[in-house]
Amino acid sequence: MLRIPCPHCGARDEVEFTYRGDATVTRPGPDGDVGAFHDYLYLRRNPRGWQVEWWQHNGGCRAFLKVLRHTVTHEVRAVAAATETLEVPGA
Amino acid sequence: MSAPEAVHPLAGVARGRHGAAGDAPLRVSFPARDIVQVMVRRGQDAALAAAMRTAFGIDAPGPGHTASGSGVTAIWIQPGQWLLTAPRTTEGALAVRAAEAFATCAAVADQSHGRTTIAVSGAVAREALSRGCRIDLHPRAFGPGRAASTPIAQIGCLVHQTDAAPSFELTVFSTLAEPFLHWLLEAGAPFGVEIA
Repeated sequence: MLRIPCPHCGARDEVEFTYRGDATVTRPGPDGDVGAFHDYLYLRRNPRGWQVEWWQHNGGCRAFLKVLRHTVTHEVRAVAAATETLEVPGA
Repeated sequence: MSAPEAVHPLAGVARGRHGAAGDAPLRVSFPARDIVQVMVRRGQDAALAAAMRTAFGIDAPGPGHTASGSGVTAIWIQPGQWLLTAPRTTEGALAVRAAEAFATCAAVADQSHGRTTIAVSGAVAREALSRGCRIDLHPRAFGPGRAASTPIAQIGCLVHQTDAAPSFELTVFSTLAEPFLHWLLEAGAPFGVEIA
């Protein structure tokens, strides 16, 4: 069970959140070709280590949050609002 | 043609004693509430705060908090959104009042029929709620004037502590009020539940 410190609500259990995937992918512009959209839709880094992810606190304040989580240890190191930027620490 | 009279979602629940006998039961009632959702428009936070102060005498509360004034309580529910609640008077009266107050700075939606409030109080209230509520309701972490949204028995619930008795008001979607009450009766059964 993860405990995620929501910036609005404080630390809450993982069951209150919905995982929304990798937060570092960006949608290609309207002139992006099929290959760019294919990569955007299907390709993920799936790192062993730190990853910035979307988590929505839909059981609480309903906000979309960026969460820096370690995919092996599940340690949550930082949580930020959707408009903020989280840096992935170096290996 | 006038609209049909609204029927309270828990009108059919048997009043009186449920669960164990005892001197200190969980006291449950179903106060009729006007509930209005206020959603600030982009960049209008300051205007909304001013309007809330002018119209209701309330300083817009921050995350996890509530504020009361002139018979109305504002509850923070999510960034840029509040619920205004007041004892039920004329159908839609609070929504009209809020729509006028926030005409230029926020969207207003009447939730009076969509949400149902269940009031619980008594010395055992905290212990009964803790059987399904993940929020720490201990006085060092929570208290009168605090509020939090959290799933209880897999039902999204707004928990609002109204006094130190302790008394809580639990607001859920009206369609889920009955299953939620069933959970509450189970949670309170060891102490006894008195429904007024």
